[in-house]
Parts: sequence; C-alpha cells; structure tokens
Amino acid sequence: MALDLFRPLKNLYKIVKQNGGVTGSLYKLFRQDELKWGELVGEDKFGNKYYKNDYYFYGRNRWVEYNDKVWLDYDGSQVCPEWYGWLHYKTDYLPHEDPGRPVYPWMQAHTQNLSGTRQQYIPYTTTKPKIEAWVPPSKK
Amino acid sequence: MLLSTSTAVKPAQLLFGKQLQTLLKQGAVVSARNAQTEAAASSSSSSVPAQQSAVQGSPPQEKIPYSPFTHNKANAVEYVLARADDVLNWGRKSSIWPLTFGLACCAVEMMHIAAPRYDMDRYGVVFRATPRQADLLIVAGTVTNKMAPALRKIYDQMPDPRWVISMGSCANGGGYYHYSYSVVRGCDRLIPVDIYVPGCPPTAEALMYGILQLQKKIKRMKSSQIWYRK
Repeated sequence: MALDLFRPLKNLYKIVKQNGGVTGSLYKLFRQDELKWGELVGEDKFGNKYYKNDYYFYGRNRWVEYNDKVWLDYDGSQVCPEWYGWLHYKTDYLPHEDPGRPVYPWMQAHTQNLSGTRQQYIPYTTTKPKIEAWVPPSKK
Repeated sequence: MLLSTSTAVKPAQLLFGKQLQTLLKQGAVVSARNAQTEAAASSSSSSVPAQQSAVQGSPPQEKIPYSPFTHNKANAVEYVLARADDVLNWGRKSSIWPLTFGLACCAVEMMHIAAPRYDMDRYGVVFRATPRQADLLIVAGTVTNKMAPALRKIYDQMPDPRWVISMGSCANGGGYYHYSYSVVRGCDRLIPVDIYVPGCPPTAEALMYGILQLQKKIKRMKSSQIWYRK
C-alpha cells in the first residue's frame, strides 16, 4: 500500500464530519476529552452508544459514548452488563449476536454505582460484638 | 444552573465561564432572578425524578445539570451561595493533590496511576511529597501499629479541606493481616475515610475510579451554604 500523505487530513475530516461539524466536535471534546471516528455498533437501554473502529490500536478500538442526558455525570458503571464483555474484550460477540446469554426472570436489573445517593448500600452487623468497650467508673 | 433547567438548556450555558458571568451579573438582576427562581423552584421538582431514574436504571429523560444544588433555592442569597459552592468545588475537585503514602504492595498500583497508561495528571491529580501541600491521603497498604502514630501525625499536618482514600483490603479492614498482633484493623480506626477502594491490591483502574468517586463527592460539598446556615 502506498503511503498516503493525506491520511491524517482525511481522518480529521471524517472525525469532524461524524461528530457534527466544528461546534459539535468542540462540544464532544469538552465532554469526553477525545475525538474519534468509527462505526456505531449498538446502543444499550441506558442510551449509551458503542463504537468500533479497528483503525485504532487494540485497546482503543472499542469505546462507549455515554448518553448525552447524563452530561458530565457519566460513570464506568453505567455500561450495562450485556455490553461490558464486548467493551472489555472478554468476547467478540455483540450482545444480540451471542447465543450463550440466557435471560432469566430472577435476574436483577442493572443499576449504576449508587454510592453517595439515598439508595446506596450500607452494611450493618447482625451479630453481637465480641468486644465491649470499657466504661470507666464515674467519680461521685 | 437552576435557571437553565427551567429554560431550554444550551450546552454553552453550562460552561464554567458562563457560570462565572452569571455570578458577576448577580447583583444587577437580583429582583428579576428572584421571580425566576420562584418559577424554577416549582419546575426543579420535575428534574428530581430525572436524576433519580438515572441512578435507578432507566435512561434520564432530562439533561442532568452540572450542579447538584438545584433544589429549593428560595432566595437570591442561597442561589449565590450555591453557585459559589459550585465554583469552589470545581476548583477543589480538579486539583486533588495526593500525598505519596505507600506502605505495601498497593503502593505499586498507586505508582501505576501516575504512569502514562492511567495518567492521573489528566484529572489534575499530582503527587506531593509533603503533607502540608496535600489535599488527599491515599493510604496504600497495611497500617501497622508502629506506623499508626506517623499516619495520624501526617493526617493532622494536612491543611483543610482534606480527604482520605483507603486503598486495598489491608487499609480497609486489616485484610490478610487482620488477626496479626501488629496490624491496625483498618485505617479508619485512626483517621476518617472518604472512599474505600476494595481489592488486594486494587488495580490502578480501580484506584482511578475511587478518585473519580471522590471527585463526585467533592462536587456535593456545601462549604459556603453551611457557613450561611450557621
């Protein structure tokens, strides 16, 4: 393959075109600090979009763009478990292509990390403590 | 942010510079704003379910505003203080300087987040070697009884506001050495802890996630609002 001197420019054009022009690109750059072009392979129930482009090196060739509605409050735990495996290279199957993924009625719906909200998990002990604190005798 | 939830949200309005501008203009348009905050106070109740649903598992219907302080801002003073908190928290969360406090193998992972692959400098997180200049104490590793007074002293030397991340099983609760005679069963017996990062050791990615969680926590701080409440 001949060396294409204009490839960086072509890529830049593709990136700007896909991300909605100059203003759209700046908007995305502000929000996620990265601009890429790629193929949209799917969207999950939270509205996150998953992209793929093997032009980028392995490890960067699959990525997620979080739902616009969450704005800057995106979080790694918003990736739902169906897409987690694909995004982290555990499998090459997309969620809808994978035959080995049964869905049972007892499965819980995925939530994002609830730490810091009212729904957060707070552990508590159900056993009597083995050590009791010493209460000093009060002077009369 | 309260105002922009009531009207159509333009992305540029959420930028920091714009926020500062609205802060500066505050004095001139207090009366007009009062009316608007009244209107927005009723409409802000509609933005609460959106945030709730985001955490509960369905996609949010409205855009989640940058600021966590959008509710029940009845008067102008509280509005100004909420915005002041936003600016303060923005500054604090974007330049968390941790102290290099590695005690065991967790320290290796703590070094990894400073290295180019995870690159904590992206978030303004830069290691400082003195507690006097540090905001954050990452307790990375087993806290022994011998180290305990030093840990407490270092924590006391840090200026306010200060945060603590407990990294790894040993710092969280003694971990593997829980029944050892010479180990403190969790660093929260010595100092208050903000974020616990589980793992033995946690990956650099996990620690990075812990730092991002701490950023979220800092974003909710109400320094000036609490000062006014007093």
